[in-house]
Amino acid sequence: MTLAIAVALLTGVGTFLIVRGGAVRLILGFILLGHAANLIIIAAGGTFRREAPLVDGGAVLDTMADPLPQAFVLTAIVITFGVTVYLLSLVARTAKQASKVDSRDEASGEAHDD
Amino acid sequence: MLVASLALVGFAAAFVPLMVRYLGRFTGYPLAVVFLISAALLLVESPEVMRGETIVQSWQWVAAFDVQFTLRLNGLSLLFAMLVLGVGALVLSYAPQYLDPSYEVGRLYTVFTLFGAAMLGVVLSGDLILLLVFWEITSLSSFLLVAGSGKGGTWPAIRALVITGLGGLALFGAVVVLAVRTQTTNIAEVFMLAPERLTATELTIVAILIMLAAFTKSAQVPFHFWLPGAMVAVTPVSAYLHAATLVKAGIYLLLLMSPLFLAFPAWNITLLAFGLATAVFGAFEALRQRDLKALLAYSTVSQLGTMVALIGVGTSAALAAAALLVAAHALFKATLFMLVGIVDREAGSRDLNQLSGLWRAMPITAALTGLAAMSMAGVPPLVGFVAKEEAFYSFLNLPQSAWAQGQAWAGAAAAAIAVIGAALTFAYSARIFFGAFFGPLTQRNLYEPSWLFLAPAFVPAIAGLVLGIWPGLLNGIIDRTTVDVGFTMVGSDLSLWHGLSIALGLSAIAITLGLILHFRRRWVLRFLGEEPPVPSGPIIFDRIWFALVRLGANVGRPAHSTSVGVHLFGVGVFIVALTAIGLAIIPGALGGLNPVIPDAMQPVDFAVLALLIPTVVFLTRARTTITALVLAGFVGLIIAVWLLLLGAPDVALTLLLVEFLTVVVAAPVLARLPRHRDIGRPTLAAISAVVVGVISGLAVWAFTGRRGPSDLSAYFLTQAEDLTGGTNVVNTILVDFRGLDTLGEITVLFAAALGLLAATAVTLRARQDAMAEVLGRGEQTILRVGSRVVIPLLVIAAAVLFWRGHDEPGGGFIAGLVAGAAVAVATISGMKVKLPSSGVLLAVGLGTALASAFIGPLTGASALAPVKIDVPIVGSLTSSLIFDLGVLLIVVGLVRVALERLDGMDIDDQDELEDESRDVNRSGVAS
Repeated sequence: MTLAIAVALLTGVGTFLIVRGGAVRLILGFILLGHAANLIIIAAGGTFRREAPLVDGGAVLDTMADPLPQAFVLTAIVITFGVTVYLLSLVARTAKQASKVDSRDEASGEAHDD
Repeated sequence: MLVASLALVGFAAAFVPLMVRYLGRFTGYPLAVVFLISAALLLVESPEVMRGETIVQSWQWVAAFDVQFTLRLNGLSLLFAMLVLGVGALVLSYAPQYLDPSYEVGRLYTVFTLFGAAMLGVVLSGDLILLLVFWEITSLSSFLLVAGSGKGGTWPAIRALVITGLGGLALFGAVVVLAVRTQTTNIAEVFMLAPERLTATELTIVAILIMLAAFTKSAQVPFHFWLPGAMVAVTPVSAYLHAATLVKAGIYLLLLMSPLFLAFPAWNITLLAFGLATAVFGAFEALRQRDLKALLAYSTVSQLGTMVALIGVGTSAALAAAALLVAAHALFKATLFMLVGIVDREAGSRDLNQLSGLWRAMPITAALTGLAAMSMAGVPPLVGFVAKEEAFYSFLNLPQSAWAQGQAWAGAAAAAIAVIGAALTFAYSARIFFGAFFGPLTQRNLYEPSWLFLAPAFVPAIAGLVLGIWPGLLNGIIDRTTVDVGFTMVGSDLSLWHGLSIALGLSAIAITLGLILHFRRRWVLRFLGEEPPVPSGPIIFDRIWFALVRLGANVGRPAHSTSVGVHLFGVGVFIVALTAIGLAIIPGALGGLNPVIPDAMQPVDFAVLALLIPTVVFLTRARTTITALVLAGFVGLIIAVWLLLLGAPDVALTLLLVEFLTVVVAAPVLARLPRHRDIGRPTLAAISAVVVGVISGLAVWAFTGRRGPSDLSAYFLTQAEDLTGGTNVVNTILVDFRGLDTLGEITVLFAAALGLLAATAVTLRARQDAMAEVLGRGEQTILRVGSRVVIPLLVIAAAVLFWRGHDEPGGGFIAGLVAGAAVAVATISGMKVKLPSSGVLLAVGLGTALASAFIGPLTGASALAPVKIDVPIVGSLTSSLIFDLGVLLIVVGLVRVALERLDGMDIDDQDELEDESRDVNRSGVAS
């Protein structure tokens, strides 16, 4: 239930930021959606067993958390980082081009004034 | 020997680029020798084939589908293989003299040889799948050779590829039906089982698909137009692919499949009708042409039509005549193409209106052209005459076939149409010879080409004469071919003189008509006009093509938007609709769920939520970018703590590090962005936020936390230590159990890093300046002092985390992020980092991970399987540690790329700098 609330919150706000528009909101929304997805995967493994899956001294099936979703989420986090970095480069590029277009408009406007 | 013969040509193609480096255009000569050796390897087996044996060699190929790599040699494939290799050798020894020294020969020879191997593969295949693969390679190499001819080659090449590709698909369909029904792809077995396993309807479908494949490949009306278009390719390609071999693949397929359809009148009637129509249409079009290559192309279309019609007749004599015509046609048509190429080179034109009187300057070229043209026209004593006589005889005896019993008129009609085709053939053959070589010589400085240039055309021209005088030489192979296509041995008796027969009478009529057409050619040409009466094939093809392209553009238009909202909208609607439908149609959807397991929620979770909710809400209200970024980092921190509480220390550690690095990387980029304007629609955003949030929350509540531990989880927990030697189960899943997944994932990271490297070009210096701008110089100095302590600690931590990762929280990902953090601290504080460049880190990382995958196979285990290695002093290690090292290096590489390349300055600035410096230079020169 708590995870469900967290996921609802993160996906909702993530969607809000992305639909609202703007480069920074896009990236922030993307990060929040990434967290939500990771929590969903963890929730799929169940949250009633909360001991770290370190089996030194034998596995305790009743208390140890499901290791498979953890492995998925671990790589997903690193991949999210890779994608975020790539998104940032695209955003930086687009913003630069946009500002260039603006300054060109201004320049040509001045020329007309002369 | 079969496989040696095929492999020889295939390997030769691989070595062509090397040979071209030293021999240039003369590479054709050694390749011709290769083709001849390959032919000799097959001839070694020929005595056995002639005795009636079929030589088969087979290897397991695709075990899962029970497909064998089967090669077989019988009479039919021997005949075609000899043509493929013999004509190939001739054309290869012709090409060096024909090709311009400046011509880019590497590609031509490579694809040419590859085509030779594929064509040989088609005729030697003993398995339908193998046949299909080689068949497609011939289409593709034809495409490459036509498209590679430079100006104007692209569209004809595309048309040819689409048309022959369509045929390839049809063949694929036929193969699938046969294979599914007979449960085998071995051709011999298919022939045995198909008659009883396939219903009449299925057999009809197979027949239609086979005919479609053959008609497109062998240029039958209405698919013929790609062949004249393909004439833009250089003459050696036209002579080999588009006259002697590639276009015969369809004929080969029809001959090969004939046994299936011996008692199938629809097959016979369709082949006969399309074949005769193509024969007459092609001959008319050939007569109309002024360009010698176009004339020969339409002539090929016409001759192929005759072959198809003969296969349609379906008697043993007719199939024998078809096989004989295949051989005769290969000989005279390759000769004619090579000679037209010589005329083109020497006289500079292929236009019949410009060429005249060439025999005075080039008597040997003229004589050879005359020989080949006579063979094509069906004049005794050349092999073309013998083939034509056999064809007439077969058409006349059509009523004796199994399917047209007693229909005397059918035989007469078919023979009459064949005579019209033969008369037209005589007329255009005469036009080539008399048009180009007779009349007044108008050009000066023309000479006979060197014997080296002429020899490749000389050989088949003389062969046509020898086989015309002694056609009995071919009795054995023609007989054997007839047996292979489903008939009992009849004992061919080919001869030049059969006595006074009706066939001879028809020949006389055809030649007389041809002479009349030739002497009244002005009148005939005026009657034919410049353009055919129907719209030409390319025009219709292009209309269909562009209509399809427009349709595709219209279908894809919604996806062309650059707005994120448009793309997300479709996905959102889909999810909402799916939820609504699910709730509506599944009765008691939510009531029927398992009860939630009691311990799933604990008080500490609410504490986390109490922190998370305000942070996320504040995030949406943040005024400045930096505030928003810090709050986003804080969200990550809260979730990391939660993950730790949920028993996932590895994940928590990873998330913490990633949050830190994201802030470091993103701060300079976002700080430089202009303040975001409110461009979106807040109401729409709020509505979609609520809908998406509620649905996701509902889904998580409904579908998770309602069952006990999965079997898989129990398996990993109980088996990890025994199977891998590691006690950190998460890490063993990453590097041992699901190593291939991880390999794919680090490849994604690798690609993302490469994308950054490609899209940006910035020095580390610029990056540090940008960082200093964000921080201010003073803070940087403090950081620099602190980093002298922090960096060594981080490096040591990374090493420890990496080393113990298999047993305790840590591992390649986490250690890589910690090491990346060390690099980040160094960068922020402006220290000079002496590390290999990020490209090297990434490449070595991926290389290490890949290399470790092969340790398993070396010891007999599967790829990526962990292998214990005993190292002195350290003790025993597993190979997955090496894999994990690759992971570590890639992560460090990615972090380094991100730090170097992301400061909001990209490649455009570099361009601008260059532009400015160029402007300065220019103005300097001007002043």
